[in-house]
This record gives sequence, structure tokens and C-alpha cells, in this order.
Amino acid sequence: MSQLTQQEPQAESADAGPMVRCEGVRKSFGTVEVLKGIDLEVQRGEVVCMIGPSGSGKSTMLRCINHLERVDAGRVWVDGEIVGYEQQGNKLYELADKEICRRRTQVGMVFQHFNLFPHKTVLENLVEAPRLALGESKAVASERALGLLDQVGLADKRAAYPRHLSGGQQQRVAIARALCMQPKLMLFDEPTSALDPELVGDVLAVMKDLAANGMTMVVVTHEMGFARDVANWVAFFDGGQIVERGTPEQVLGDPSHDRTKAFLSAVR
Amino acid sequence: MPSLDIATRETHAPVNELTVVAKRHPGRWLAALVVLLVAAALVRSVMQNPRFQWDVVNLYLRDFSIGKGLWLTIWLTAVSMAISVVLGVLIAVMRLSANPVLRAGAFAYVWFFRGTPLLVQLLFWYNVAALYPVISFGLPGVHLNANHLITPLTAAILGLGLNQGAYQSEIVRAGIISVDHGQGEAAAALGLTRGQTMRRIVLPQAMRVIVPPTGNETISMLKNTSLVSVLAVPDLLYSAQIIYNRTFQPIPLLLIACIWYLVVTTVLTVGQYYVERRFARGNHVLPSTPWQRMRTLLKTHTPMAKGSAR
Ligand SMILES: Nc1ncnc2c1ncn2[C@@H]1O[C@H](COP(=O)(O)OP(=O)(O)O)[C@@H](O)[C@H]1O
Ligand SMILES: [Mg+2]
Repeated sequence: MSQLTQQEPQAESADAGPMVRCEGVRKSFGTVEVLKGIDLEVQRGEVVCMIGPSGSGKSTMLRCINHLERVDAGRVWVDGEIVGYEQQGNKLYELADKEICRRRTQVGMVFQHFNLFPHKTVLENLVEAPRLALGESKAVASERALGLLDQVGLADKRAAYPRHLSGGQQQRVAIARALCMQPKLMLFDEPTSALDPELVGDVLAVMKDLAANGMTMVVVTHEMGFARDVANWVAFFDGGQIVERGTPEQVLGDPSHDRTKAFLSAVR
Repeated sequence: MPSLDIATRETHAPVNELTVVAKRHPGRWLAALVVLLVAAALVRSVMQNPRFQWDVVNLYLRDFSIGKGLWLTIWLTAVSMAISVVLGVLIAVMRLSANPVLRAGAFAYVWFFRGTPLLVQLLFWYNVAALYPVISFGLPGVHLNANHLITPLTAAILGLGLNQGAYQSEIVRAGIISVDHGQGEAAAALGLTRGQTMRRIVLPQAMRVIVPPTGNETISMLKNTSLVSVLAVPDLLYSAQIIYNRTFQPIPLLLIACIWYLVVTTVLTVGQYYVERRFARGNHVLPSTPWQRMRTLLKTHTPMAKGSAR
């Protein structure tokens, strides 16, 4: 597999600032505070893995990055733009729905349960958003989609319905669907957690390939092997905070925090 | 090997040469026979009872005014259902919207139109000219004479369509809610707008839940249209009534109306079946057609390879 990303030169992203920046992000559901002040910076081309126990706020953090959740306090920037708002002077103006949608087209997301559209074939799943959200012609979108399907090893499944694919195949389609929007950032929320063990490898291989081609990726995962091999750095979440961060060798090999040690020994 | 006996050879026969013989159900055949006999007796008694006046039925079954009435009934059903489906989607989407004003409006609509009798609503629309002799929609320069605008037929369409819209919206809402939350989320993450997500992703999947009760409602609507006879709209039932008021033969003419209602219901049922199949796309198993099911029922011997496929 080769060249999974066909990144277009982006005029506004000429500045070399971080791809993602979070500053004091807080989020509550009802009375429960799920994120308690997260600071985070992901540079262009970096792969960051978020690990941590269930319920520690990893998914919520990820969903704040593409505004599927709105933050209560703090700010998130993607490629220099504040997520969900426009800053003028010292005022933050909430964005119109249309602008939120436009910005989401630049951030791909892959879900634990794939969330493919069951009433559409594999190829239709891929071309739907480029056609509707980017206004591309069917021919242009299909050509890129077929190339991506080829690269995730599923060119022969273009006419199949998702129900007829294995979990691993469905997740690779879901990755191709996100890539078909030519995003500048990819978010993965436990992409292999719903898969049978023997199918995990194919999906991770696609993700490694993507990382090797320079895609910026934020990955919530329990695959410590993947984090060790691919991540530039790892963030350990617990109780809505990042309690430890560092290179995979530091965090996974020689954790300094007791809770990290406890989690890692439980995962192994 | 010469000592190999037949029994052993049989157990080693290749699987695809074996034939599966379905379990016999003598009880089922017996029950079917009894039911058939009872049904035949019933039909015989009805056919031979002179008081049903089958000769009169035969005389008027294909009468021109009955045909016109039938056509109007079908037309009214189609138009009212079309209006109700459009209204139903609109109101269901309003009901699930983030906008509290739209939500309250939708709720009030369903509350009112579901909470008052259809017959009263029909009479109300029929008499709307008494309440608003001139309709202007609040716009300057618009002066519509309500008496001309609200004919018995428009009153019928308004009454049936608006009332059914309230029920239809609940059906659509149930369909929308039945679609997995992750679908809307995936569409949003791809940058689709809420409208695009609803039209392209959620509603098509909701159809699987929406179609069966909508078919049911269409059949129900077919017969509810007979209420418009109170507005002197010459539908199927009213056309039959006109004839028997003249000939004093209500039984055979009501039979004629029933026969036609049953014929149309049958056609609708078959149509519903195929529409449901259409919206089951992407599902593991398509429901089999009645023809396919009949064949499976009657088949007793199946080759192993095929028989184990499903
Ligand atoms: N939409 C929601 N409404 C209410 N509570 C939520 C919602 N989403 C997440 N939570 C809660 O927030 C906490 C963190 O969830 P999540 O971010 O999914 O954790 P993780 O992905 O690390 O397992 C959990 O306790 C979860 O129950
Ligand atoms: Mg999670």
C-alpha cells in the first residue's frame, strides 16, 4: 500500500503552528465534570495516542476537537482556527451551522462501531460526503474513492453492502470513507476495540501506513503495541485529566505515575 | 473392500448426494382441510341465500356511477395520504428539532388533530366559509371567496389530509428515533448538514420502520374516506347510497361497496409488500415473496447442499 493521503496544498495552513491545540478544556455532562482542564498540542504530522481507563474522558476530548461536543470552558484550535467560534477582539462569536460543517469536512473521524451507512454500498458510503459536502462530481469522487478502496485492500468490495463485510473490512471502509474527504487531521476512537483479535492487524496496518505518509492523527486506543510503534507521544488520561504524557518508551515502558502503572499492569 | 456393508457405505456417501426429507406435518393438513370445509359451507350459504340479492349485485357491480365513486375514493385516498406523508415528515422533524418553538408547534398540531374526531374536522372545514367568508391569509390584496375555495372536495381533502398528518408524524418520528444514533454522528463528522443528514442518511433508514404502519394507515384511509359522504362528496359509498335511496335495495349495494373496498385493499396489500422489500436493501435477508414461501412449504425433498445453505 502506498500514498494513502493525497494532501492538497492548503493556502490558509501555511503557518507552521500546531495542528491541534487545546487550552484548559473543560466539559461537564449534567453535574459530572468529564474533562477537567486539558492542555494538549499536536504538531503537524504527529501521531498521538490517548490511553487510559474507560470513562476517563478520552472520547469526549476527541469529540471536542471536531465539535461533536461543545466545550464548557477553555478553547480548542484546529489548524489555527478556534473550533466552533470565531474570535473578533475579545469576543467569541458562535459559528453558523454551515461553517461548522465546512470545518468538519477537514477533520476525519473513525468510530469504534464503524457507523457505516447500511443502506448504501461501500462505494456509495465513500462518495456520499464528498458529493454533498464538497460538491464534487460523481466521477471525481468515485475515482478517488476507488483508489482509496484499493489502498485499504477492498477494491473488490465496492458494490457490497456493509452488512456483508467482516468487522475488520468495515473499519477499513470507514477509514477510507474519512480519507475520501482529504482531511488534514484524522481522529480515531478505539478503532479496533470492536474487532475480533485476528482482524485487528489489518486495520492497524492501514493506520500505520497512514502515519508513515505524514497524516496527523489522534488515536484513542488500547493497542499498546501500536502506540509503542507509531506514536510520537502518548497521553495517559485518568478522571478527566492527562496525568502523564511523554514518549511511548517513557509512558509505557517506565511510567512515573501510580495510576499509569496500575492501568498498564491491568491492560497487559 | 468387499466386506463393506451397505449401512457403512451410506454414511460415507458424499454430502452433496444426500437428500433432506422434510418432517411431515399431518396435523397441519388436517387442520387446513377442516378450515377449507367450514369456509366452503359459509360461502355456499351466503351464495344461496336469496336475500343477499346477488342478481342486483351483479347488475350494479360495474355500474358507471359506482365506477366513478370508486375512482374518487382511490383518488381521495391517494391525495390525502400524499398530503399526510409530507406533513408527517415535516412535523416529525419539527418535533425532533433543537428549536423549542418548532417543537411546541408540532406538539400542538398533533395534540389538536389527533384529539378531535375526524368527522367533526370534516364538518368544520366544510363550514369554514361561515367562519371566514373571505380568506386573505393576512396578506394585502388577497381576497379569496371561501365559498368558492372550500368546495366539498377541498373540505374533504383538508380534513382527511390534516388529520392523517398528525398520525403520520408519529409514525415518522418513531422511524427516525429507531435509527442508530451513530449514523447521525458519522454524517455530522463528515461535514454533512443536519438537513442532508436527515434526507440522505436518517430518513432512508427510518423507512424500514415507517413503511409497514403507513401501509396500514393507507388501507385505513381508504375506508375513512367514506366519511366524506356526510359532505355529499360522491365517493364509492355515497354513490352506492344514491342508488339504493332510489331502488330501496341497501343490502346488495352495500355489498358492492364492500367488494370494491376489498379489491382495492388487496391491491394495496400486495403493493405494500413490495415496497417493504425495496426498503429492506442492505439487510441480511430479504423477506421472501409469497410465491417463494409457498414453494418452500410444499417442498418435501431438498438436496443437502442447497437445503443447508439457509
Ligand atoms: N452524552 C453524554 N451524556 C452524559 N454523559 C456522558 C456522555 N458522553 C460521555 N458521558 C460520560 O462521560 C464520561 C467520559 O466518557 P468518555 O469520554 O466516553 O470516556 P472514555 O472514552 O475515556 O471511556 C463517562 O462517565 C460517560 O458516562
Ligand atoms: Mg470512549
